[in-house]
Amino acid sequence: MSSAAIETNQDSNNRDEKLLIDVGSTYFKLSTDDNLEQHFRDFNKDILDDLMQKCGDTIAGFAKKDVHICSSANGGLTTLIVGISHTFSLKYATNIAFNSGINIIDTVLYQDIEDYSIPSDLIDVVIIVGGINSNGGVFSSRLYDYLAQLHYSNIVFVGNEIDAPTVEENIDHVVILPNIIDNRLHIVEDHLSDYLTHLYQQDIEGKEDVKNLYNITSNQIYPTPYIVNKTLPLIDAKFSVVNPFILLDIGGATTDIHYSKDLVDDNLVSENEYDRLVFKKLGVYKSKQSLIFAAKNNEFVYELLMHLKVTENIFEEQSKKATKILMQLAIFLVLCKISHYRKAYINIKLLSLNSIVLTGGITKVLIREEIEDIISFFYKKILNSEHNPVTVLDSHYDIWTLEAASLKERGKKLCQ
Amino acid sequence: MYIQVRALKNMKVVTGVVGNDIHVVANRLLELSLDARGYEVFNLGVNTYLEEFFDAVVETGADVLMISSLNGEAEGWSREVQLLKAKYKHLDNLIMMIGGNLVVGTGSAEDIIPKYKNYGFDIVCHQVDLNTGLDQLEAFIEERVVNDSDIKESNK
Ligand code: B12
Repeated sequence: MSSAAIETNQDSNNRDEKLLIDVGSTYFKLSTDDNLEQHFRDFNKDILDDLMQKCGDTIAGFAKKDVHICSSANGGLTTLIVGISHTFSLKYATNIAFNSGINIIDTVLYQDIEDYSIPSDLIDVVIIVGGINSNGGVFSSRLYDYLAQLHYSNIVFVGNEIDAPTVEENIDHVVILPNIIDNRLHIVEDHLSDYLTHLYQQDIEGKEDVKNLYNITSNQIYPTPYIVNKTLPLIDAKFSVVNPFILLDIGGATTDIHYSKDLVDDNLVSENEYDRLVFKKLGVYKSKQSLIFAAKNNEFVYELLMHLKVTENIFEEQSKKATKILMQLAIFLVLCKISHYRKAYINIKLLSLNSIVLTGGITKVLIREEIEDIISFFYKKILNSEHNPVTVLDSHYDIWTLEAASLKERGKKLCQ
Repeated sequence: MYIQVRALKNMKVVTGVVGNDIHVVANRLLELSLDARGYEVFNLGVNTYLEEFFDAVVETGADVLMISSLNGEAEGWSREVQLLKAKYKHLDNLIMMIGGNLVVGTGSAEDIIPKYKNYGFDIVCHQVDLNTGLDQLEAFIEERVVNDSDIKESNK
């Protein structure tokens, strides 16, 4: 298989054109200057085999140097964060992790560390943070006792300088990086962000499946969310999006939200124009069951189903109609999760929002009216408001292809 | 305890203006005065919520929390202080101070001070100027040090 892929690449007849491939957890997308293809993945197959079978002809037309691939195939890396306060250490580390494309499985407030249940899954990276540099003696054996019960692959300490040597002595293979909280209690992102991005990168490259993709590209393969967040400032080149906006990418396994920083009132001051937030178990294929579970626990969902003229039996159905309803529910649940109606890691000021941009498979299944219907239902029911942000559908995956423009540039930076 | 190990003037103070209050002038002056008196100041500025204050104390290891309120919101927030502080496990030695306009309209210090002490503040400065307020803080700290060493003496 792989040798076939190499051969086809050599037949390249396109000159400057680029082929962009995004490998998601549910489907993959291919984009050229004038064409866009999207295919459901066959999970019984290796990604490259699957890809070559479905789009071999397209791929054959490109040289390895003109193929750019990004991947969020395994839903990204997972992290557990141990910090000493919600407003500073946990919030700052959460923000950096999300923006680096990492999914958070739990945050642990150190003072109550013994009260948390131990996650049974393998955690890709544990982050420990707490205290400004002059505030030492924050961590003790309680931390080490807790860590001894976890299963993790990497561990990084980004807390106060005074505790760093003891932490290093007591935790095997811990990576010590500069504190993410400075002496004025502001966030310092770069070191942790670079570290996490590299881990993600390594993880992608270490996966056998993804490794094989290097048979069709000579460029570095990037994590999708990292690239998307970095390209958001370019968004108005393609759409008449009015700032501030949120971008919803409701996928098969997870839902990514990218939002303008103006939409949060925050003690967290950074240079990013946009931040990312992920709901790990909210998606319409792989995470369908947990989406339905969340829906059943939302007090407004029955009213919404009534509004959509269906009953909850729809959850048991396997039909196009059922998929549509599920996607509409997903939009509603995501909006609930980020509104003031639910207290979360951040609350987005949805009444100040001017545009909601939707991307991903949802734009292929729902039509504009069906999406707008849900959004106005949400505003009326949950926020008691007639506010109506403009809905922008990224049906041609323009947002994702915008990434291409900055891929090369970013590639250079990341490799440095 | 805390306080004894650290030289008086090297103490850490977290300050800011509580709630939706945006009166910034006193807050700036407070930072300058504290700094001039040798404290290490962490100024959270205007518009600061109670949880942020306590969290900042945790992250900095501050000895004093100094809340300012000018626009009349003080009482609403202060009622929640005990409840919130109880969720934190290591704030027992924290010196809690509040100053500014502590009621809506007018009120007398005799009524206001006991009320705010009940809310959990050690030092209450209703319409007291900064320097008088900061002198009170120093007196309080000295008294606490003396008391602590008395306790130590009697334990010997
Ligand atoms: C300037 C001002 C504003 C400006 C603020 C600009 C800014 N960004 O700072 C603007 C126009 C925005 C404003 C808005 C409002 N204001 Co105004 N404002 C004032 C004013 C005129 C001066 C405040 C000032 O800066 N003084 C100078 C500083 C240095 O003095 P100070 O604030 O009094 O603080 C001294 C002491 O209190 C003390 N102190 C303060 N904090 C602390 C803390 C500690 C620990 C200690 C020891 C001492 C201490 O030290 C300072 C120096 O000695 C006062 C009236 C007045 N003359 O005081 C009203 C005043 C504070 N405002 C008032 C009100 C009601 C409002 C509004 C609600 C009005 C409205 N309806 O919209 C809004 C609230 C906005 C908000 N979200 O907070 C009332 C508060 C009444 C109350 N508590 O009962 C006042 C007292 C006017 C009044 N007499 O009614 N205001």
